Amino acid sequence: MNEQRRQVLQMLAEGKITADEAERLIDALEREQPASPPGTAPRAKPRPKYLRVVMNSEEHTGDGPSRVNVRVPLQLLRAGVRLTSLVPPQALARVNVKLHESGVPIDLTQLKPEHIEDLIEHLDDLTVDLDDPSAKVQVFCE
Amino acid sequence: MIPQLVTVRHRRPDGRWRRLYVPVLPVVLVLSPLLLLVVLGVLVACLAFRISLLGALRGTGHLLWALPGARFEIEDGRTAVLVSVR
Repeated sequence: MNEQRRQVLQMLAEGKITADEAERLIDALEREQPASPPGTAPRAKPRPKYLRVVMNSEEHTGDGPSRVNVRVPLQLLRAGVRLTSLVPPQALARVNVKLHESGVPIDLTQLKPEHIEDLIEHLDDLTVDLDDPSAKVQVFCE
Repeated sequence: MIPQLVTVRHRRPDGRWRRLYVPVLPVVLVLSPLLLLVVLGVLVACLAFRISLLGALRGTGHLLWALPGARFEIEDGRTAVLVSVR
C-alpha cells in the first residue's frame, strides 16, 4: 500500500473525511499512478467472471430499506444464450409479432448467438450507475 | 463442476435467521425416480416442438456447470433471503 493511500485511510479512520470522500480521493490517486516503466510488459487485466447487480433503496416500504445484491457468473449468461438458439423459429416469429404490437420493433430472428456472445464478451467494460435520491443501482462486472 | 451445495438463508421479521443447506448430489440421487419422469417429459416436449434433443441436453449441462458462484441476496427491511450456489 503506498503512503498516500495509507494517509487517506488514516483520515477516514479518524473521521476527518467521509467514506465517499475517501473513495473519491483513492480514485484520484489511482488515476495519477504513473504508467508502468518502459521495458516491462503491461499486466493483463484479469477477465471478469461475474456480473453483479446491486440495488440500494432508502424507500421505506415496510420496516426498513431494501437491498438487492445479485452475482451471476458470466458463464451462466453464455449458457443461457446458447439455450436461446434452441427456440423454434415459429416461436420466435410469434414473439416478434407480440413485440411489434408492444411497440418494440426488434426482430429476434436476426439475433444470432454469436452476436450475443460478443455482447457478453464486452460486458466487462460495462458499468451502469443509476443514482436516484431514494435509490442507487449499479451494474458491473468483476 | 456441477453445483455441490445450495445455501438458502432466510431472515424472518423477528430478526432470526433460518439456514438451509442443500447438498445437490444426494438430493438428486433421492429424487432420481422423479427426475427420470422429468427427462421423459422433456424428451416428449423436444420431439413435439422439434427441438434438438442433443442441443437441449448440452444447453442444460452448460447451465448446470455454470451455476456455481451464483449468489442472490434480497433484503427488505428486516426480512431477507440469500441464495448461494457453490
